[in-house]
Amino acid sequence: MVNYKDKKAEKVTTMQKTFISMIAATALSAGAVMPAFGTEVTLARFFGSCQDAGTDVSAAVGEACIIQSIINAFDAENDDFDVTTLPTDWGNYYDQIIASYASGNPPDVHVMHRHRIPEYGQIGALADLTDDLMAHGIDPDDWTDSAREAVTWNDRILGVPMDLHANLWHVNMDLMEAAGLVENGQPILPSSPEEMMEHAEMVREATGQYYLAADFSEFEIGVRMVLAFLWQQDSNIFANGTATINTPEARNALELITGLFDGGYANSRTNYADSQQSFLNGEAAVLVNGTWVVDFYAEQAADEDVELTHYYVADFPTLYDEPATWADTHLWAIPASVKRDNPEVYEGALQLLAFINDHNIDWARTGHAAVRESVLNSDEYAALPHRSEYDNTVNIARDTPASARYGAIQDILNREFQAIWLTGKSIDAALSDAEEDVQSQLDR
Amino acid sequence: MFEQFKTDLRWAGVRQNLVAWVFLLPFVFVYVAFLIYPFGRGVWISLHDWNLLAVTFNPDAKTFIGLDNYLRLFWGTEMTWRAWARPVLQGLCVLAAVFFVWRYRIGELRWSTLWQCLMVLLLLMFLFGWAPGEGGRWFDRRFWPTVGNTVFFVAMVVPAITIISLLLATALNRETRGAAFLRTLFFLSQVLSVTVVTLIWQMMFSARQGLVANVVREFGGVPLSWLAEPGFAMAAIVIATVWWSIGIAMVLFLAGLQDIPQEMQEAAKLDRANSVQAFWYIILPNLKRTITLVVILQIILHFQVFGQAHLMTQGGPNDQTQVLVRYIYQTAFRDSDLGIASAMAVFLFVIMAVFSAVQFMVSREDEQ
Repeated sequence: MVNYKDKKAEKVTTMQKTFISMIAATALSAGAVMPAFGTEVTLARFFGSCQDAGTDVSAAVGEACIIQSIINAFDAENDDFDVTTLPTDWGNYYDQIIASYASGNPPDVHVMHRHRIPEYGQIGALADLTDDLMAHGIDPDDWTDSAREAVTWNDRILGVPMDLHANLWHVNMDLMEAAGLVENGQPILPSSPEEMMEHAEMVREATGQYYLAADFSEFEIGVRMVLAFLWQQDSNIFANGTATINTPEARNALELITGLFDGGYANSRTNYADSQQSFLNGEAAVLVNGTWVVDFYAEQAADEDVELTHYYVADFPTLYDEPATWADTHLWAIPASVKRDNPEVYEGALQLLAFINDHNIDWARTGHAAVRESVLNSDEYAALPHRSEYDNTVNIARDTPASARYGAIQDILNREFQAIWLTGKSIDAALSDAEEDVQSQLDR
Repeated sequence: MFEQFKTDLRWAGVRQNLVAWVFLLPFVFVYVAFLIYPFGRGVWISLHDWNLLAVTFNPDAKTFIGLDNYLRLFWGTEMTWRAWARPVLQGLCVLAAVFFVWRYRIGELRWSTLWQCLMVLLLLMFLFGWAPGEGGRWFDRRFWPTVGNTVFFVAMVVPAITIISLLLATALNRETRGAAFLRTLFFLSQVLSVTVVTLIWQMMFSARQGLVANVVREFGGVPLSWLAEPGFAMAAIVIATVWWSIGIAMVLFLAGLQDIPQEMQEAAKLDRANSVQAFWYIILPNLKRTITLVVILQIILHFQVFGQAHLMTQGGPNDQTQVLVRYIYQTAFRDSDLGIASAMAVFLFVIMAVFSAVQFMVSREDEQ
C-alpha cells in the first residue's frame, strides 16, 4: 500500500531542498536566520488547549500550557522535525484514537493512560520501545517501579511514563479554620465516616458553606471517591474476571457519600466546572479533585480577586482500614505502524519523548508526581509549592485491576452511581445493575 | 418503408436509453458506492462478532455469528409474554387504534389503510407484551430504554418544530422589512453547528451563571441544574433542538404558503373568514403535502439525534437522555464492538423507515 505520508515527505524533501538552497543563498548574503523544515511528527494529546503556549516552559502554568510549551520548545530546538499537535477533545479522546487506529492513520505519537495499555497492548497496536530508549537518552531504570509497571506489557516497554496523578483533597483553610478544623497550620481531616459527618456539620454551622464539593454529575470524580473508599475496606469492583460490586463495602461507601448530600453538606448536581468554581468562590471547604490542578489553584489563591485565599493540599484521608486513593499514569506511546513503516518519523517521535522525559520536573509543576527517581530526589522537586503537603499520595495510589474494558466499566459505574444521587435510584438496585453490566463487559 | 421507420424508432429508443444511462451512471455510482455498499457492509458486519481494534490488526479476528447480535439486543433470558406487560405503551397503541377507527368512520381513512395501521398496532401490542419473567433479564438492559428515549425525543421534537415553524411561517409570510428581518433571525440558528448550539444552551441552562438560572433567581426561586436533573435533562435537549431546527421547517412552510393561490385567500376574506378560519380551512388543507414532507424529514433527522445528548448531558442522568446514535457510537468507538453497533444501526434504519412509511401512508390517505 502506498503510504501517503511517505510520498508527502518525499515531495516535501525535494521541494525543501530547492527551497532551502534558495533561502540559504539569500541568508548567507544577508546574514538572516534560516527557517527550519523537517519531517512532520503528528501528536495527539488531551489536557485541554493553551493559547500562545510559547516555548518558555518555565513560565507556563497548568497542564495544557506546560505540555504545549514543552512540545513547542522541542519543535523550536529541532530543525529536523516539525511537530503538529492535532485537535482533540478530552471527552472523546479515546474514541478518536481508536477511530484513527481503525482507519490506519493514527497520530505518530499520542498520550494515553496506564489503564488503556491492556486494550492496545493485547493487539500489538503500540510500538515496542524497549530496545530504543537508552539510545535516545531515556533510562527506564530511572523510573519508579510504579511508572515502569505502568508502561510494561508482557515484559516489553510500550510507552514513556510522564507522571502519577491521583485524587487529592484540596482544602480552603479559611473555612476549615472558621470551623475549628485546623491544627498546627494543617487541616484536621476525618479518620472515619462518622468523623467526616461531624466535620461536615461543623463547617456548615460555622460558615454556612458546603463541607465538600466534587464533580458528581459529569466525569468520574465521584466514582473515584467510591473506589477509594472500597479499597480502604479491602474491597474492589472485580477480581479474576468476576464482578464484585454488590457488596456491603460498596454500600458503605455509597451511603457515606449520599449522607453528605442528604445532610446538605455537598451538592450532587455540580459538574466539573461548577464544583471547581464553587471551591474557588469559597463555597466549599474541601474539593475532591486530582493532582493536575494544584498549580492552578495555587495561582488562583494568590489572586486577590479570587475568594479562595489560603489553599492547602492534602492526601486523600483514610476513613476505613487501609489508606488508598485513586491514581493513574499519563504516558506517551507510538503506534507500531510508525516504527514498522516510517523510521524517520519514529526517530522524531522518540526524540520528542526523550525531550518530554527530560522535562519531567516541569510537568511535575502541575501538581503531578514525577516518575523519575532523579527528579523525585531533587531539591527542585521538593521545593515545588504544596508538594510536602501530599507527599504520601504516591504510597497510597491504587487503581482497579487491569482490563481492556476499563473505559466501559468506568462509564457503567459513573452512570449507576450518578443514578443514585441524581435520580434517587436505590443503592441496592444500582449496585445490582452495575454488577450485572460490569460482568457482561468482563465476559466479552 | 414502415419497417425502416420501426428500425429507426428502435434505434432512437436504444440511443435514448444509452443517453439516460450516461446521465444516470455518475449518480448510480455515487449512490452505490456511498449508500448501498456501506449499508450492505453494515448489515454484513452486524452478523459478526467484530471487534473494531482487533480486526484492524488481524482481519481474521472476526467470527460469523448469524443473528446473535440482534438476539443480544432484542432478547433476554426467561422471556415471557403477558397481555399488559407495558400498560402505558400498549395503552397508547389502543388509543392510536381508536383514533384510526374514528378517522375511518368519518371517511378520512380507507378500509385498506385502516387495516394496515391496525395490523401494525396489533404487532406492536404483541411485541410490547414480551419481557423477562421471574429470574430473567435482558441481555442488554440499556437497549430498549435507549430506543424509548429516542422515540420520546422524536415524539416531543417533531410536533413542536412542525407547529412552531408553521405558525412562524404563517405570521411571517408577508412582504415587509420587519418580516424579512425576523425570517432571517429565526433561520440563523439553523446555520450553527451542533457544537455551538450545545455550548450556547449549556450556558443558558447552567445553574451557576445561566440565563434561565438568573431569571429564576430574579423571581426568588432556586435555579435547577437542568442538565443533571431527572425530568429536565431531556426537556433541555428538546428545547435546544427545537430552537436549532425550526429554521429549515419554517423555510419549507414559507415555500408552501407561497404556492397557495392568492385568490383563495381573497375569496375567504370576501366570505368574511377571520384569520383563524382562513388558517384552518384554507392554509392548512393546502399545506398538507408540505406538512408531510416536514414531518418525514424531521422524523428521519431527529431519530439520528446525537450531538445534543452527547455534548449537553452525556446521556445522563441515569441514561435518561441516552439516545440510539450515541449508544451506537459508544458501542463502536468506546467498546470497539462494531458488530453490535452495526446491528443497532440496522435497527435504527428499520424504525426510521417504518415511522416514515406509516406517516406517509396516513398523509397520502388524507390527500386522497
